[in-house]
Amino acid sequence: MTDVTSGPEVAPPARSVRQLGYQWTAGPAMPLLSLAVALLIGAVFIAASGRDPLRAYVALVSGAVGGATVQLAAYNTSETIVGAVPLVFTAISVAVAFRTGLFNIGAEGQLLVGALSAGAVGAAFGGLPGPVLMPLTLGAAALAGAAYGAIPGALKAWRGAHEVITTIMLNYVAIFLMHWLLQNGPMTAPSAAGTPASAKIGDGAILPVLLPSDLVPLSRLHAGTLIAIAALVGFWALMWRTSLGYELRSVGFSPRAAAQAGIDPKLRTVLVMAIAGGVAGIGGAVQIQGVLYRVFDGFSPGYGFDAIAVALLGKSSPVGIALAALLFGAFGHGGALMQSEAQVSAHIVSVIEALVLFLVAAELVARIVAGRRKARA
Amino acid sequence: MEIGLILGAGQLAATLRLAAPLTFAALGGVISERSGVVNIALEGIMLMGAFFAVWGTAVTGNAWAGLLIGIAAGVVLTAVHAYAAIHLRSDQIVSGMALNILALGLTSFLNFQLYGFTGTPADLAGLPDVDLGPVRGIPYVGGVIDDQSVLVWLAVALVVGVHLVLFRTVAGMRLRAVGEHPRAADTLGIDVFKMRYAAVLASGVLAAIGGAYLSLEVSHSFTNNITSGRGFIGLAAMIFGNWTPVGAFIAALLFGFGDALTFSLQGTGVPVQLLGTLPYLLTILAVGGLLARTRPPAADGVPYETEGR
Repeated sequence: MTDVTSGPEVAPPARSVRQLGYQWTAGPAMPLLSLAVALLIGAVFIAASGRDPLRAYVALVSGAVGGATVQLAAYNTSETIVGAVPLVFTAISVAVAFRTGLFNIGAEGQLLVGALSAGAVGAAFGGLPGPVLMPLTLGAAALAGAAYGAIPGALKAWRGAHEVITTIMLNYVAIFLMHWLLQNGPMTAPSAAGTPASAKIGDGAILPVLLPSDLVPLSRLHAGTLIAIAALVGFWALMWRTSLGYELRSVGFSPRAAAQAGIDPKLRTVLVMAIAGGVAGIGGAVQIQGVLYRVFDGFSPGYGFDAIAVALLGKSSPVGIALAALLFGAFGHGGALMQSEAQVSAHIVSVIEALVLFLVAAELVARIVAGRRKARA
Repeated sequence: MEIGLILGAGQLAATLRLAAPLTFAALGGVISERSGVVNIALEGIMLMGAFFAVWGTAVTGNAWAGLLIGIAAGVVLTAVHAYAAIHLRSDQIVSGMALNILALGLTSFLNFQLYGFTGTPADLAGLPDVDLGPVRGIPYVGGVIDDQSVLVWLAVALVVGVHLVLFRTVAGMRLRAVGEHPRAADTLGIDVFKMRYAAVLASGVLAAIGGAYLSLEVSHSFTNNITSGRGFIGLAAMIFGNWTPVGAFIAALLFGFGDALTFSLQGTGVPVQLLGTLPYLLTILAVGGLLARTRPPAADGVPYETEGR
């Protein structure tokens, strides 16, 4: 938070943030090692609470991808993917900012405004046919998310306000906005018993389930999964196959050098935050249109926060993000079975996720090892 | 809308009650960031304080012992952040976010493992309220400040204390020097690392007390995510108060007032949830320089490395 009022010049991002993009050049050993250490520490916690860690982890894995029958295994795996889909969008949101040297902690808020926009448009124009309503809802979510992301981008570019602070604050603004809209605001559905929610979106806005129910009963694997894959490809193409992506990455490497080369870092800052917000916004829409069909108050368990871990674990690359999101999806779905089978709170999964994030991103393992080597030399 | 509803003694008493946890967190933030270490783990530290204070109180039967256990747990989490930020020079934002997620997961996990679905014990001992005796008789004032938790008064005392230490003592000057220009401070023989460790750990003590206050004194129990963003509002109060203890306290009072208002306006048709956005919107305006100029310490968030290492 060094450059809150550093004036018109966009201050260079913290050295460490830029380095995060490189830290995986050493290969996948460190994320895997960090995951192993995190699971080990998690096992200690489970054992300390008087439960069997091995039994818990077996239940976790079988809950995520396994099952007594092929159908059940297919169902569990598809649920793991369903859980990974929103994380893919929010993690791309975080990663695209990372690559430009910005720290977008605001994916949660951007996802929420996207979901709310999709929910509002999808319900208000529910009678429209799918080919019209589908792009309308997704587009509304993308626009809302982009606008919500552009705010911290503009504040950073022209007012020097640190994006970490503004995005954290905007998350909470979005959360309270959601409470108002769904509890006693214009979007509140009269029938909302229990959890406050908006009205159901029109059929035309619903992303269809991909697997036929006689093949995999109850599967919720929806067409939003394909949008997530498209977003990953789009992220790769934007960053590594377009001149804009080149410019963004050069701003991430060195804003000063980029400015020397005639790239205006300010406009790029606003643009990249708008892109980041737009992707997260689509993620919110996909969760509503593919899984929930209406916006429930507090529907997000923190997709935007887990996204930071997913993006860092996946070294802000498309393939890495896909793998890390699947891992977190597996944790999320498998954790439920672990709780019922092994009486181990599913919250241990958050502990393990946080440990992975801490070990990986704080480069704890790497730095301790490096420190040892240095001391010995 | 009645003016009594907004400025009545009950409303102001509630303001004090709700501002106290924000004040603890904000003061912690001020101390840590004045030394040059960003601590956005305040939220997680508060959660640790909140859970372990309840657990400690339930185990020992004494709320003071519980408070100490809560502080100890918060300090353990803070020490991890300090080690990562100062020693390993990790990214302080990432470390803080990771610890927030860790604390939320860990306290929720322990809450389930230890108390299951029944929740924390109902007959939890509390800390004493401060009976001001004759002051109670003073109209209005008595209604505001009498019978407040001892921790509310501790928060007020700490505002004065931290202000005096930061701006009127040599140690405070050194701490600020470390946060403004660590190289210069180092040249003058100040141990930058020791100073920063002390400051970050102190911020952990304060945030943990703020969390313990929420569980022991406000809700008399622990529920998952009991802090629900108050650590971040504390951070906002710190920024809004321009990294000064008194400014942070005034901001905490302002945010606490808004919070109290959401309670008293419930059911009046006013969209109270929108009031909840105020601390965050004001902070965004503040860091954007659109409201008042704020200036963080120059070396805030920048890891220090001694030369020739």
